[in-house]
Amino acid sequence: MPITYDVVRQVARDLYGWSLKKVPDDTLEALAEARRRETNPTSQRTLDFMQAAARAAEREDRHACSDAGFPTYFVKIGTRLTLDGDIRRAFVDGFADLVETIQPPILKFITHPLTLERSYTGKDMPIVSFDVADGADYMDITCSPKALGSGRWADLKVFSYPKLADIEGYVMECVMEAGSQHCPPVVIGVGIGGSFDNAAKLAKMSTLRRIGTRHDDPMVADMEERLLAAVNKTGFGPMGTGGDTTALAVHVDYSHGHGFVPVAVCFNCWINRRTAARIHDDGKGGRLE
Amino acid sequence: MSDGSPPALPRLTLPLSRDEARALRLGDTVILDGEVTITAGFPTHQRMAEALDRGQPLPFPKAGSAFFHMGSSCRAEGDRWVTNYVNPTTSTRFDDYMPGIIRRLGLTATGGKGGMGRACVEALREVGGVYFSMPGGASPLLSIGAVERLETAWDDLIEQFRLSRFRLDGFGPVTVAIDAHGNSMYDTLQEQASARTPRILEELEQARRDSAARRATPPST
Repeated sequence: MPITYDVVRQVARDLYGWSLKKVPDDTLEALAEARRRETNPTSQRTLDFMQAAARAAEREDRHACSDAGFPTYFVKIGTRLTLDGDIRRAFVDGFADLVETIQPPILKFITHPLTLERSYTGKDMPIVSFDVADGADYMDITCSPKALGSGRWADLKVFSYPKLADIEGYVMECVMEAGSQHCPPVVIGVGIGGSFDNAAKLAKMSTLRRIGTRHDDPMVADMEERLLAAVNKTGFGPMGTGGDTTALAVHVDYSHGHGFVPVAVCFNCWINRRTAARIHDDGKGGRLE
Repeated sequence: MSDGSPPALPRLTLPLSRDEARALRLGDTVILDGEVTITAGFPTHQRMAEALDRGQPLPFPKAGSAFFHMGSSCRAEGDRWVTNYVNPTTSTRFDDYMPGIIRRLGLTATGGKGGMGRACVEALREVGGVYFSMPGGASPLLSIGAVERLETAWDDLIEQFRLSRFRLDGFGPVTVAIDAHGNSMYDTLQEQASARTPRILEELEQARRDSAARRATPPST
């Protein structure tokens, strides 16, 4: 049975709505763990408030943040699937459905980059990227709304034959540049290698990985661990008012490439908005997180 | 404290008097009542600065009052505008306009998230005003204290960009992150992080060596 336009449209709408009103479980656990470790009284209070607010958002069906950002979706289509209807259009229409139905309403955040005019729709909105999953009979859709608060601090630099110290030094430069401003504690994604666009995508995808998981490659896993320790020694702390937890996780991924090595760094704010669903070829499926 | 619960936070009513603002210290955490003007709009700040430069009065905030960088959504209930949600926005993006706005209006309180640049810190010192840091992303709790919207101005702008006057009752907690004496928690933390950086980079180097050595050694059987 094919996966239809109608099913994808509904899932696109639901995923965005859910992402605004729930802080993912792994993130809540990481905040609780950060609170146990935190020694700064202001930060302890901030972390308590964050956790209580996150629980209230879910319990009372309210927005965790007033800024709903703009919608981005990552879609992985199993190669054993058949599709019926305009799947790209389903995301556009699903988001339009959300704008019409969500309570409390979301504000206009979609911004024309040249005129700065704001709307509920726009060119290439939602941002959707498609990939395939060989042999799979399902479609995975991940939604990760992005707003200025953490979005504006992403950066990318292209190196030529860098040493590990160059790459890690650059990550720390990005952390220093963002300082107190990206609604910490953040999840940091680092994408290394391949092409310019690939590194950026790796960084973004890395922020979507569950907190507490390690990269399969021990060399990269060690890098994640030491970078996290390094970031948390800076002392910017929760909401950037000082403390022991500036990042909840640093996730790194790489692709082989050429001698030039793009390194991309991006940040997710502490509410770490992210939801995902899997739809099977019988049209059934459900929320993964 | 005997029951183990944290002590109640002090409450302040906006607008602050200049003496109240000057009495606040970095890191003080308080709950706010009273009235504040808010906006999340970049074009709003441009328009405010242009009007003030031309000597035109603003509908609000009034001189000596409070002005926060926050977005908001409200719904009509009878003849009142009740809050759906509010949330702070990144203050540094208004750094070009805020020094002039602070000086010309003599603001005793500003606020938002992430802090403001040095020129704003100086302006706050000159007029005797503070900057409150609010938790971002904690809208369900923060919104409770932003009880209702009393009025808006510049309604040609989208909702979160309008100048919006709110009544607060138990808003917060908010933390004094820039005081009225030229001190900024953000500057202090940035300097502290810069001072720590050489050591942090050395420790990263050591960790890289340890990792390489660990991976070069076959696991013992």
